Amino acid sequence: MRFIPIIAIIGSAAAGNFVKDFGPTINPPYIPANYDAQETHASTSILGQFRTSISSWLWLRTDLYLHNGVEMRQMTEAERKSGMSTEDAADDGHKKLMNEESVLTTVPSKDRDFRGIFGDIERATSAYKDMHHHTHNDPVAALPLFRLMTWLDPTFVPGWVQGAAIIGRDRSDAAAIKAVEYLKEGERQDPFSVSIVMEIGEIYITRLNNLPKAVTYLEQARSMGKHRDWVSEDAENTALEQTYRWLALCYRNLEQTQMMRQVASEGLKRYPDDIVLAHVLYQPPALMKPQYQKEWAREKISEQKSTAKVDDPLE
Amino acid sequence: MSTAILAEQLHVRYKAKNGKWVEAVQGLTFNVEAGEVVGFLGPNGAGKSSTLKALMGFVEPSGGNCQIFGEPAGSLASRARIGYLPEVALYYPFLTPRETLTLYGELQGLHGKALKTEAETLLEVVGLKDAMNKRNRSLSKGMLQRVGIAQSLLGNPELLILDEVTSGLDPVGRKELRHILKDRQQAGCTLFFSSHELSEVEMLCDRIVLINNGKFVEERQISDLKQELRQFSVRYKGEVSLFDLTDHWQQVGENIYEAVFTSKEQLLVALDRVHDEKAKLLDVVAQEGSLEDYFVEAIARAA
Amino acid sequence: MNKIRIWKAIGRGVLLESVRRKDLWVIAILGMIIILAASMLGFFGVRGLEVFVKDLAVTVLGIFSTIVAILTSSRLLPDEIRNRTLYPLLARPITRMDLLLGKFFGAVAATWIGFLMLAALTAVALLIFHVQFEWVMIQYMVLKMMGLVVLCAVTLTLSAYMTPQAAATMSFVLAFGSVMFEQGLLMAGNSAGKGMRPIFATVSDILPQYHLFDEGSRAANIGWGSAPIWVVLALGTYMIFYSGAMISMAWSKFRKQAI
Repeated sequence: MRFIPIIAIIGSAAAGNFVKDFGPTINPPYIPANYDAQETHASTSILGQFRTSISSWLWLRTDLYLHNGVEMRQMTEAERKSGMSTEDAADDGHKKLMNEESVLTTVPSKDRDFRGIFGDIERATSAYKDMHHHTHNDPVAALPLFRLMTWLDPTFVPGWVQGAAIIGRDRSDAAAIKAVEYLKEGERQDPFSVSIVMEIGEIYITRLNNLPKAVTYLEQARSMGKHRDWVSEDAENTALEQTYRWLALCYRNLEQTQMMRQVASEGLKRYPDDIVLAHVLYQPPALMKPQYQKEWAREKISEQKSTAKVDDPLE
Repeated sequence: MSTAILAEQLHVRYKAKNGKWVEAVQGLTFNVEAGEVVGFLGPNGAGKSSTLKALMGFVEPSGGNCQIFGEPAGSLASRARIGYLPEVALYYPFLTPRETLTLYGELQGLHGKALKTEAETLLEVVGLKDAMNKRNRSLSKGMLQRVGIAQSLLGNPELLILDEVTSGLDPVGRKELRHILKDRQQAGCTLFFSSHELSEVEMLCDRIVLINNGKFVEERQISDLKQELRQFSVRYKGEVSLFDLTDHWQQVGENIYEAVFTSKEQLLVALDRVHDEKAKLLDVVAQEGSLEDYFVEAIARAA
Repeated sequence: MNKIRIWKAIGRGVLLESVRRKDLWVIAILGMIIILAASMLGFFGVRGLEVFVKDLAVTVLGIFSTIVAILTSSRLLPDEIRNRTLYPLLARPITRMDLLLGKFFGAVAATWIGFLMLAALTAVALLIFHVQFEWVMIQYMVLKMMGLVVLCAVTLTLSAYMTPQAAATMSFVLAFGSVMFEQGLLMAGNSAGKGMRPIFATVSDILPQYHLFDEGSRAANIGWGSAPIWVVLALGTYMIFYSGAMISMAWSKFRKQAI
């Protein structure tokens, strides 16, 4: 009996030695052929973990600074069900922009605080403002922090993407070009990122009106992304969906219908619920309400599939 | 003469690590008069340290009564009159002996220049003049014991309670300690101490209190005990029987005999007989009795 | 005998030990490295990081002063008992309450000195970075020092009931989890019916309210200003009563404890 643990350990070691790949491999890394693998060394990896942690912390702090120190949290399911809503903000548009329709301050307002004087003290000693008086700091003030994040961790994608959004916030072409340069620096640091390349493409479409250039970057993003298999909530996954949308729209505007259909159907194969791609591919009746469009698109896809008329490059 | 220490039916109990209660002291009764030097003896685990802790108020007796100069043991009034040396203490390792004495002196109610002078004097007395500014952690065990002795003497206490007083001291240190304690005694201080060094006890004490298994065994005046333990041996050549005078009579050579007597009277009778029967007296030796033998015998008897 | 003299003597012992153990120096050096590293960013051309630097400064101050407070307070009593340094102390005509209070004041003094050392370094770092030292920063320091008093009292009390390691762990959880516990209780209390709410309110009141003493978010961010004076007075009262209750709890365990 006493040899059982030893046998188990030896058995495990032997199994580990002989079984090379145990279980499915999720998200196999896509490495471009010309990529210089500077980040693959073990020591770099450890340092990288540290840098990523600091950058993630900075990311959270930056969000806090933009709210001038006022901490907020998402409502719980119970709070949402109980009909609690974020106090009416003076600037409703701003609230929507900052995705604050279902957030509350972590320090509760007086009417939802049962702690009496302790609650009053906390509201007086912490950075607290109720949602009526809630304001945001100018994101430009946070730009140095984005630079710091990307300086600490050059592969910190949100730092590049959000930083570029802040740089390009001024609606001039010069600002847009600076944002593209910033993103290109990000691309050099992290050539795997679909988000960064997609953002460059988006700026070329929305700000610089250069569709051929945009197509170059979006095709690059599409090419990187289609080999990967993300979990659904991954930011990169969302970026790839965006890539398909922008690319399909670009081809439509460039009147390259065949490419438009190919991209849209490839995108729909991957994101069957995407209304934009369904729009592009099937052109739903113009007067159809948006809530019915998704269902309509789904039906259309299955209909097309059953008649084997879908031009699906993935199959 | 007033009573310095009074213990009546003292009981002390501890909760052991296994959760069971252990009776360390069981109905111990003894007293120490002011000015006396009393040794508190017993084998390991006899309850000596527990008794001393009860006298200091470190543990609350589970029964009985304990007084120091008429005050309840452990009270502020009683502790103000005591100097205490614990069995093992690691004086604050990051303080110097001078700072250690200053700290304890301040708690004793001393302060200012008087405290500074007393601390330095005491450290000099215990032989730590050159080490008074070194950190305690760099001192040897013996030197730390000297720090302990010095702190116990702070404030010129009327009663010194010393637990294993000679622990860690070399022969020179012990001799110096004897001088210090003798001086204190002559100044009227009462000394009550436990020690395993019976020779020290013999040299210092007026009286001993012996305990075993938490119970009182006996108390003896050292002078009486010494008298009682003294032995005389006689060696002679000739056919003279002393068998009726002592149990310790034996032949040790050809026609040579040796007899051991515990009283002087018996010795004189024996010498008369040897002389009368024309035997040749070879040797007469007076031996001091061994306190160790007495200790072992008394403990065995009590057990 | 003069009680203050007794407390001063015992407290001075704690302080001397804390300084000579080099705890404070290690903390000061670590804090200095972090704060100066943050300040160094200015030389790399990253400007406009005032809020970040201030935030970092109050975070470093908060974390390290909490560590000093807990590590100093948690070992005072258990170390005395383990090293038997308690015997010669309690052989003197002092009460066990005197000893507790002396130790407590010593721990507070050591913690405050550590905090002020770090605060001085922070001030220098902020000056290098041309960050204005506002009144709210002074108030932040005052409140933080009051919070550290509560923390020392809680840790000392816990150490009377458990091992120093357990006391330190518990104190770290209570100190760094204070906001989290409070938010959890608030959310649970608000979700629960009105009948249950007093239970959550009572639990909330019993737990030490360290987070109330942390004005860091106001000090670091822009334009908040200081809290009204009634808040400082209320927190001062809370500090006295809560610390008093804690020390009394420690005493109730320690006063009859066999040593």
